[in-house]
Amino acid sequence: MWERTLQDLIRGLRANKQDEAKFIATAIEEIRQEIKSKDMELKAAAALKLTYLDMLGYDMSWASFYVVEVMSSPKVHLKTVGYLAAAQSFTQDTDVLMLTTNLLKKASLLSVTLSPEEVAISLNGFSQIVTPDLARDLSPDLIKLLSHSRPHIRKRAVVLLFKVFQKYPEVVSHAMARIRERLEDPDAGVVAATVNVLCELARYNPADFLPLAPFLFHLLTTSNNNWMLIKIIKLFGTLTPHEPRLVKKLMPRISDIISTTPAISLLYECVRTCIIGGMLQGTAGDALARTCVSKLANFLQDEDQNLKYISLLAMVNIVPTHPHLVAEYQDMVLASVDDQDMSIRMRALDLVSAMTNSSNLQAIVQQLLSHLVRTEASALPSAVLSLSQTASGTPQVPRLASPSQNPAYRLILSQRILTLCSQNTYENVLDFEWYLSVLVDLSYVASVDIGSEIREQLVDVTSRVKGVQRFAVSLMVKLLCDDTFLMNADQQGSCSEVLWAAAFICGEYCGELADPQKLLTYLLQPRVLDLTPDTVAVYLQATTKVFGVWASELAERWDSDDLPKVKEVVGSTLERLTEFVSNPDIEVQERAANILQLLTFVRADLNSYRPPVERSFGYEDSAGPSTTTAEPDFPKSLYLIQPLSSMHELKTVAANAQASVPIPEGLDLDAWIVPPPKESLSHVHESDDGDGAFVGVKKVKKVQKAKGKGNSGPKAKATKKKADGDDGREELQPAEQEMTESERVEQDRLKTERMERQKDDPFYLTDDRHPKNADQYDVDSIPVVRLDDLPPLSQANNSRVPMLRSNDPQFSRQTFVIDRVGEMPSGAVSVASSAAVSPAPGSGGSAGSSSTHIPRRASPSDGNGAATAAPLASFPAYEVEDETSPRTGTPPPIKVTRVKKKTKVAAGSGKKRAAVSAATSSTAATGGPS
Amino acid sequence: MIHAVLIFNTTGVPRLTKFYTALQQSASNLTQKIFSLISARPATLCNFLDAPELEGFLVQKDLDGEKLRVVYRNYATLYFVFVVDGAESELGVLDLIQVFVESLDRAFENVCELDLVFHFDEVHHILSEIIQGGLVLDTNVEDIELAVTSAAKARKESYASANPLSLGGGGVGGSRSTGLQTPLGWLTGKLTGVSTR
Repeated sequence: MWERTLQDLIRGLRANKQDEAKFIATAIEEIRQEIKSKDMELKAAAALKLTYLDMLGYDMSWASFYVVEVMSSPKVHLKTVGYLAAAQSFTQDTDVLMLTTNLLKKASLLSVTLSPEEVAISLNGFSQIVTPDLARDLSPDLIKLLSHSRPHIRKRAVVLLFKVFQKYPEVVSHAMARIRERLEDPDAGVVAATVNVLCELARYNPADFLPLAPFLFHLLTTSNNNWMLIKIIKLFGTLTPHEPRLVKKLMPRISDIISTTPAISLLYECVRTCIIGGMLQGTAGDALARTCVSKLANFLQDEDQNLKYISLLAMVNIVPTHPHLVAEYQDMVLASVDDQDMSIRMRALDLVSAMTNSSNLQAIVQQLLSHLVRTEASALPSAVLSLSQTASGTPQVPRLASPSQNPAYRLILSQRILTLCSQNTYENVLDFEWYLSVLVDLSYVASVDIGSEIREQLVDVTSRVKGVQRFAVSLMVKLLCDDTFLMNADQQGSCSEVLWAAAFICGEYCGELADPQKLLTYLLQPRVLDLTPDTVAVYLQATTKVFGVWASELAERWDSDDLPKVKEVVGSTLERLTEFVSNPDIEVQERAANILQLLTFVRADLNSYRPPVERSFGYEDSAGPSTTTAEPDFPKSLYLIQPLSSMHELKTVAANAQASVPIPEGLDLDAWIVPPPKESLSHVHESDDGDGAFVGVKKVKKVQKAKGKGNSGPKAKATKKKADGDDGREELQPAEQEMTESERVEQDRLKTERMERQKDDPFYLTDDRHPKNADQYDVDSIPVVRLDDLPPLSQANNSRVPMLRSNDPQFSRQTFVIDRVGEMPSGAVSVASSAAVSPAPGSGGSAGSSSTHIPRRASPSDGNGAATAAPLASFPAYEVEDETSPRTGTPPPIKVTRVKKKTKVAAGSGKKRAAVSAATSSTAATGGPS
Repeated sequence: MIHAVLIFNTTGVPRLTKFYTALQQSASNLTQKIFSLISARPATLCNFLDAPELEGFLVQKDLDGEKLRVVYRNYATLYFVFVVDGAESELGVLDLIQVFVESLDRAFENVCELDLVFHFDEVHHILSEIIQGGLVLDTNVEDIELAVTSAAKARKESYASANPLSLGGGGVGGSRSTGLQTPLGWLTGKLTGVSTR
């Protein structure tokens, strides 16, 4: 049989291009046979062929064992093949690596029988497959090899030492002195290799290499090996931050090289080391810095694109210390962002980002934005078209298209614009109206998936910067009225997420609008349903807010002629809403249903409305305490919705707000809310009963079953018997439906006893922090709270005027105040506010009982029927005139009442009941729509 | 240090792949990605590959995850690509690629893609005289050539001693003559199974 050689294989591959897979399949089959052969030559040939196929992407891990066999061959030409195959295919996880380790250990590196060539092959091979074990075992031999007679071997040995250090760092201390000797090696190649190794090692641990500085400095002044000089310069760049005195010593030499060397690579490294090595401080440093920057600027102007690239790379490092020097070349840098080379653009983008400050931010961002715009404008007539174009034509971007067309680049660019502006909480942004415009522009031109980031920014800026809210609303109204986003909503990169922000901002700050009700048409247009459900939900929420604000404003300056108008708006809104109520998304559905019901109620009220003198409101009787003596002359329901959203202004929450909430007195955060079932405690028994643990586990199962069935069967009793006396009964307790007081007392007593026993037992870990609370597992004691009544309505803002009003003098355009910190909990400053979470006065005074785990829980005593049935103050809005609490003030304490449960039901159903009863009472309070 | 050396031709077929450290991406994945990016770049652009697509793509598996850089050079139908980290000088690596190609040229006398195709093992041997385990061993073309020939000589001698019939024709030498076989050499190759390595 004629075996294929590597050459035959390659020729075959080239001849069978159309059916490569089949050819390779047969070839691998042959190799599988050959590699098992006893003939070493054949085995090696097979291994080599496999190595070739490995490069083409075919697996060869299965052959590891045979590769080791080839490696162990004493013949140089076979050994080489073996090591090559191993180096290419072995990973640190390869099983046979262990075998290899043993093999290599036996064939000691320094064996006299080995020729220098063999040693060289092994050294090269090890460098690829070295493991910690191998490194440890071989390091003594390796250190001896450092003084081998042949420079070639010394070179390889010293380079291999780096790998050994990585895997087995303990050897460093022994080898350091020997490595230093290599710096004075008679052979220049060995010295260069040693410098290479030192340069790598110093990156991890620079301080250890400071003693070598004199040797290196000597080399720096004497050598002319370019590669080595670069490495030495780089090495000094890592050393100088740890030894400032080096700077003084190095400066003359480096300045000398900078001004004289013809090698640009060396010049560049010198400049770079000056920058990163901190040599540019002080007056002397300033001069050097100027030289460096001017050299780099020369590179930047050079025809050679490579120099441009590295110049930008180095300039990034100099910006933090000498921004003014780089700023001189700002135009040049900005021009580089325009370069047709993507690599250069990326670097320039980094540099530009580093250079930004508040004075040049607008210029830079405008420039970046123009990149996104310009190509759009030149290539395509309109944003709409281009959007659809991008979505359909992205894959087949022409080969040499401008880099601005590259979607990945556009994404980076867009993200960069956002980070530039938002860094350090908008530190550099002076004009927020400008920034909002940028955001909107970006959403139009980006054509990449950046919509959600823009959305976050829009909402964040608007809530932080009060002065810009008016402008934001006008901008967002435009967005809402623009069909572009709606039409492209389902396309990639359409940025339709900004509509989320637009709807939110319009809803939240619609008080700035003259005719907010006009928005309703846009908020509820049929196309909205193309948007993502979460956006639709925000649209609906915005609808609620807009209607609420508009209605309350209308009520404020009520005129009976308005009635038809309101009716019409309510009618059309209701009509539109019906479409949303059947939306498949649960969130949308719920919100639509909410507003639908609210508006239905409003409509009913409007229908029954009679001009002032008449008083025939069905709900009036039950309005209770909130009814005013002077009957308002507008339909009261116009004030129904507005307070829902205007009660508490939305503000950015400070990052550490949660942490600053003071822990109320008597609240133990570590205490169990619902203590774990007893079993977990009694899993571990007194070790005196042999099968304690087993029994414990079994009992858990039992109890679970019992919970499901609601009773403990005979089996459980059997288990009870098995367990030793007291413990057994106690463990089964939770399964019982009912626990009498006496049992509980008994249980507590037993537990205390057990705890006492275990206290000194080293085999138990006891938690003695809150032994008191640990026994409160009773589901009945879980508090169920009900929000007792709606907080009173804040005063309507009188300053609102019906147009897009900004005759407001207090917000001058240039003085944007950013709420950088965010909102802090009021409790963080005053203790008094902790009353907000304690029960309101009158709802029972026994709240301070020691068994309280949960702050909101009131004592059971006040959960009487009257409290439950107490009417919700449904229309506090009627008392607008009397309300004095400011809109932005802390909301008054929420009254919390505990609903007592009379029957023993699970906590969940109890809650449900409470909710139901609350609902009923609220219906009763409002008097129903009829 | 140098993390990978790749050679592929202008259609993306790999001619040599050498990884000195474990990278997060698989070899073929990496080669394809780099090829797709490089092949779209006209020759007038710089030799450093930097692209948004590479962000977060080239990271080391175990260490601190430093971003790696791609330096490449185009010679005729071949791309020589070095993946390096911050310890290497960008321009220095460009020179190193030149050293590598010069060494290949000396070994193969006017090197062309076919030499690399049929002597992929030899290319590995030459590379191993320049880079060992990711660190540069030597940058002097003369020294490299010397080391390459002495290693080739050792392999040849070893081969000859194992296959007396081959008359030295089937050695693993670096000269192009290894590609051209004498009829006898071809026959012995067939007989022994390892002719022209």
